[in-house]
This record gives sequence, structure tokens and C-alpha cells, in this order.
Amino acid sequence: MTQMLDRRTMERREIRLAGSGGQGLILGARILFEAFAIEGRRASQSQSYEPTSRGGFCHSDVVVSEDLSDFPLVTGLDALIALDQVGYDRSIGLIKPDALVVVDERLAVRDVGRLHRLPLAARAVATGHARIANMVALGAFVTLSGLCHPVSLEEAIRRETPERFADLNLAAARVGYTLGETVAV
Amino acid sequence: MSARLTALHGNHACALASIAAGCRFFAGYPITPSSEIAEHMSHELPRIGGTFVQMEDELASIAAVVGASLGGLRAMTATSGPGFSLMQENIGYAAMTEVPCVIIDVMRGGPSTGMPTRPAQGDIMQARFGSHGDRPVIALAPASVQEIYTETIRAFDLAERLRTPVTVLYDQVIAQLLESVAVPPPEAVHVSERKWANGAGPAYQPYAAGEDGVPAMARPGDGHRAHTTGLTHSESGFPTQSPPVVDRMMRRLLGKIDVNQALIEKYETLMADDADVLIVAYGITARAARRAVTVLRAEGVKAGLFRPITLWPFPEAPLRRLAGPARAVLVPEMNAGQLVLEIQRLVGRDPPVHPLGRIDGEPIAPDEIVTAVKELAVHA
Repeated sequence: MTQMLDRRTMERREIRLAGSGGQGLILGARILFEAFAIEGRRASQSQSYEPTSRGGFCHSDVVVSEDLSDFPLVTGLDALIALDQVGYDRSIGLIKPDALVVVDERLAVRDVGRLHRLPLAARAVATGHARIANMVALGAFVTLSGLCHPVSLEEAIRRETPERFADLNLAAARVGYTLGETVAV
Repeated sequence: MSARLTALHGNHACALASIAAGCRFFAGYPITPSSEIAEHMSHELPRIGGTFVQMEDELASIAAVVGASLGGLRAMTATSGPGFSLMQENIGYAAMTEVPCVIIDVMRGGPSTGMPTRPAQGDIMQARFGSHGDRPVIALAPASVQEIYTETIRAFDLAERLRTPVTVLYDQVIAQLLESVAVPPPEAVHVSERKWANGAGPAYQPYAAGEDGVPAMARPGDGHRAHTTGLTHSESGFPTQSPPVVDRMMRRLLGKIDVNQALIEKYETLMADDADVLIVAYGITARAARRAVTVLRAEGVKAGLFRPITLWPFPEAPLRRLAGPARAVLVPEMNAGQLVLEIQRLVGRDPPVHPLGRIDGEPIAPDEIVTAVKELAVHA
């Protein structure tokens, strides 16, 4: 049984999207921030990147906390979404023991936390484009974590992405829900 | 109308606050991690009749800002460490000629080009001593996106009111952090009007000042005769090297900060009154320290936080009062030990003041501060 995190809880939650530059990690975290904001939750979204426009370790973190002056960076991850090996390798040491870990199936991973290896990239390609793996991952994450409602995620995707890509992004998120539901038994 | 909550990145908040504070001139040269400020200003200023100029470098940027301000506009630039270094001479010129301006320095790993995308707090001493000679210095250090908004507005207020350059220092983390900000309605934003000369006629002395140490500026076109020079000058504005005149003018210039200390000073404390170990931290590091204090108190360790929001002039009296009864002082900062030197100067040897520096481009984590404080609490 997948442990659901209560979205009403006031506790601090730390979520990381990790991978390499160009995978839409910062946008993904921005969408997640917006989804929480839609639900009236307060959060910080930070980003760390390297001076290359593609490649290099990149991560973007969302810290949900009602205390606005709290430390806005991650200290122990409740959830890790990794699209690339470098993102996984450099973030896995930060997870809490029972953290939700959602990774692409191609990654070499240890059996840690509540691990889900999903065909994020493959389904993105099948849905229309390799670049929407971030949205597939967000969809799966929302289903598996219960941290925010899919309706909020979809509204956030509409607000934060260009209109001409909205349908594609939403389709990718919905593929992600299905992936999440398949493993969330 | 009350403030509305808006999700903003730090640099975006800085740009919006500048516009709200009445800034109508921006000259700059883009540099990571400050470029978004220039980007937003380039969109916003032309829409409201302001001027945005991308200059050829940072020397020219600050020169253009000084010129625009002399022309009567509220003016600013934004840069990072390497650009801040290049601006130093004309920041001194602005201080000497008493031209209001705001300089945003988004600190990244240094020295030299260092680490463009990584945070640091390495420009603390550059903000204080980067320009040659003795000059009045005001530097503010916000710790959140909200505070970037309010301190940028305060920077314009202090610059205009005291006729001096004001630097706002923050790091890559909060520059590119997305947080909810309470954006006040325009009518709630207050920035002092610069003290303009009026009616003085031919007797006008451009550098004669009253009790507050701030001379009235000639507004271009108002008919006042004024001369502006970086050379030491008398009340007339014309150069002099006469020792008594230079002494009088320099003491008035530097004293402007002392006379207005209460206006400039700003700090915050957390459980500092009965602290055995007092942490002095600013910017993003102060938020790690805040978390550390909460963790330590829960474990029975009496830790407290002193957070200067105005870094220069440093809030000396309150720091001395709170550090006095403590058994140790810890100064975590993302450099090899800069503000710690000032704290050691202020506190002396009792209680001992310890640095906790990090220079690898990573922010200091709450755990590191917790560990260091526990060590001090045991051995102090």
C-alpha cells in the first residue's frame, strides 16, 4: 500500500526534481510551486544549475512550509524525482528513509525509500516528445504522493507553460497519473 | 487596499520594488546571477517613460547612473562581484559628490569570475572598503524575496534622503528563489524626496549642509549654479586642498552616516536575550541559522540569532549589548571570514568570536550551524 501524504498537513515538505540541464526541471518545480499556491499552501522554489545551457547537474527544489522565514532550501528530502543518473547520484544522499523516490526506469538505482522506477522518458516520447518527461514525472508524483490535487497541477501547467504546448503538457501529466496509479497498489 | 501575495523570484522582486520606489533609469551590463533584474527593467522602464540602457561595461554603467541621478532621476544598476569590482571608483565618486544611487550586487562565488551560478557572500568587505579613501557607506542585506522587495525600496529612500550611494547585497540563492511576496499597493510605498535647493539664488552653496549633514541639491533647470567634482571641495563645490576646509568637509561627509545611524540601522533577533551562543548571520545564511536556533532550543541548547539587515554601518550597539552576556559568538558566512572581522572588532576577546566559513559554492546548511554551536556550547 502506497503511503499517502496528507495534503492538508502543515508540516514542512521537501521535494526535489533532479537531472541534467535542459530537462525542464526548473519549470517542473515552478509548476509544482504554483499547484501548491493554488491550494493555498506556501512554498519556496529554489534552483541550482551550472553555466551550461544543456547538461550538467541541475536540480530545482520545492519546500512547502507555512513559516515564510523558514530555511527555504532542502535539508532532508520527502520526495525525489530524478530524470537522469547525475541527478539521482547527487541527490539520493539527501533523502529521508521513507522518502518517495520516482525515477526513470533507465537509471541505475539502489532500493531505497519508496522507490518507483517508471518509464518516464519512454512514455514522454510515445506521447509526443522526449522533452515532456518532466510533465509525465509530475503526474506520477502527484498520484503517488497525494501532496496536491491533479486539478491544481493541471491549472498550474496551464498557467506556467506556453498555450501552444498546453495540450501536450496536460496529456503528458495524465500519462503520468496512469503510471502512478499502476504502481500505487 | 492591502498587500497582495504574488509569487516572485528575488531578482524580479528587486526590479518591481525599484519601479515602485520611483526608479526611472537603469544602466547595466548583464551578469549572472543578477541578469534578470536588467531583463525585467528593460521590459518595465520603457512602458512607464523610464530609460533602460545596456552599457558596454560596468564602469560605464555606474557612470551613467550617476549622470542620470545628477539629472534628477532615481537611478540604479545591478551586477555581481566582478562588475561590482569594476564599479568601485565611480561608487566613490558618487559618495564624494553626494549623488544618490542604488547598486544591487548579487553575490556569486569569487574571486575573479569564480563560480557564476553558485552563491557566496564574498563582497561584504568590498561593499565597505572597495573604493579608495574614506567614504560614507550604506549596505543592506535582505534574507528573503520579501525582504529584497522592502530593502530595495529602503535603499532608494536612504539614497535619496542622505544623498549617497546605497548597495543592496544578496546571493544567488535568494536572487533565483521563488517565494510568495506581499506586494504593497503603490500608495503604501514611501520614498523620501531628495532635498532640492529652492529659492537660494546666487547665494546657493551646493555643499553647505545643516544638522542632518545633507546638502540641498540643485535641480537641473532651476537656475542654480552648481559645480560637481570628485576632487575635495568646499561648500561652494569648487576644488580645494586647504587642510581645515578639507577636514571640515570630509568630517561632514562621513558624519552624515553617524548623525543618521538610527534611520539607517536595522536588525532582527531571535531568542538572543538569554543566548549562551549568539549566532550572527545575514542573507540566506541567516535563514539556516534561524532553523538551527529552533533545533538547538528544542534540544535545550541556548542559541540565539542576531541578524543585521543593515550591514554597513553595522548595528554596533545592539550587537555589543546582546553579545556581552553570551559565552561564545558564531559567525557563519559564505566566505573565508569577512563579517567575522567586524564582529571580533566590536566584541573583542570576551566572549570569543568564531568564524564558520564556506567557500565551495554551497550554501551553509542548518546542520552545520547546529554542530558548530553545540561544540561551542560545550567548550565555551
